[in-house]
Amino acid sequence: MNWRNWNFLLHRDIGYACIGLTLIYALSGIAVNHVRDWNPNYRVERVAAQIMPRQFSGVVTDAMVRGMLQELGEEKVPESVFQPDPETLWAFIDGRRISIHFPSGTVEHERFDRRPFWYPLNFLHLNHPKQAWTWVADIYAAALLVLAITGFLMLPRDLRLRKRALILTGFGILLPVLALALFY
Amino acid sequence: MSSYVKILLISTVVVLVAMSAQAKNFGENLILDKNTSISEILKNGDAYVGKRVKVEGLIVDVCAKRGCWMYLAGQGPFEKLRFKVIDGEIVIPMEARGKRAVAEGEVQKFDLSREQVIEQRKHHAEETGQPFDPASVTSGETFYQLRGLGVEIPGL
Repeated sequence: MNWRNWNFLLHRDIGYACIGLTLIYALSGIAVNHVRDWNPNYRVERVAAQIMPRQFSGVVTDAMVRGMLQELGEEKVPESVFQPDPETLWAFIDGRRISIHFPSGTVEHERFDRRPFWYPLNFLHLNHPKQAWTWVADIYAAALLVLAITGFLMLPRDLRLRKRALILTGFGILLPVLALALFY
Repeated sequence: MSSYVKILLISTVVVLVAMSAQAKNFGENLILDKNTSISEILKNGDAYVGKRVKVEGLIVDVCAKRGCWMYLAGQGPFEKLRFKVIDGEIVIPMEARGKRAVAEGEVQKFDLSREQVIEQRKHHAEETGQPFDPASVTSGETFYQLRGLGVEIPGL
C-alpha cells in the first residue's frame, strides 16, 4: 500500500471512531454556549405558595419550623434548615428547597431535575469525571488532529478540486484569525 | 472482528470501569488536619487572606447552571461563606444542596464599590432566578470568600 492508501485508511477508521464523541461534544458545545439563556443541566421548577404572615425576626426554633411546614402540608422532616437573614427560612427536604419569608408569608418551593439528555452530554464534554475521562478527551483531541492532517493530505489530483480544497481550508484557518483580529 | 477493534473495545470498558470508581470528592485532596470555623473567617478575614483553610458546613446554595460556586453556612445565625471554584475545575452538583461538606480553599478578600455589589447581586439573582432590587444596595462592601481547591461531600 502506498502512503495515500494508509492516509485514507487512517482518516476513515479514526473518523468512524470519532463519530460518537463528536456528536456529544458538538451538541453539548451548542448547549453550554447558551448557558446565559437557559440551564443546560437542570430543569429548575419554582412554585409559589402562601402561609399566614408572621411578625417575627430572628432565629427560629424547631417548633416554629414544624409549624410552618405543617401549615404548608409538608409531612417530611427537613434534612437541614438555614436562615439567610432573620426573616427568611430555607428548609431542605429531598433535594427541594422551601423558602419561607415570615413577614409576607410568601413561600417558594424550588425543585430541580437533571435534564436526562443534556446532563450526561455536558457531564462528559465538560469533563466532570476528571481522572480517566481526561485521557479519553486527550486521545479524542489527538484523533481530531490526525483527522485534520489526513483530511488535508487527501488533496484531490484534479487541479480544479484541489483549488477548491485549498480555498475551503484557507477559509477554515482565516475564520479564527479574523475573529482574533476583531475581538481579541 | 479484527484484533485492533477488540483492543479498542476492551480499553474503553477498562476506562469506564475505572471512572465509575470515583468518589464524591471534587478537586484537590484535602490536606489540612485542623478545621477553621466559617464564623471566624467571616469575623477576622484579614488574618486569613491568602492562607489555605479547611472548613466544614452545610451547603445552602449552589450555582445551578455551572456548579461553579456554593455557599456554606457558618456556625452563627445568618452566616454563609462563598466557595468559588474556577469554572470546570470543580463542578458542584445541585444535589449537594442541603448536605454537609468539608472543603479547602484559599481565603480571598474583595472590596467592592456599590456598583460592583449591584452587578454581582444582579448576576447572582439571574443565576438563581431570584428577584433583585438594586435600590436595596446602599453602599459598597467588603467580603471574603474561599477560592475553592477541594471539597468532599460525604452524603452525596
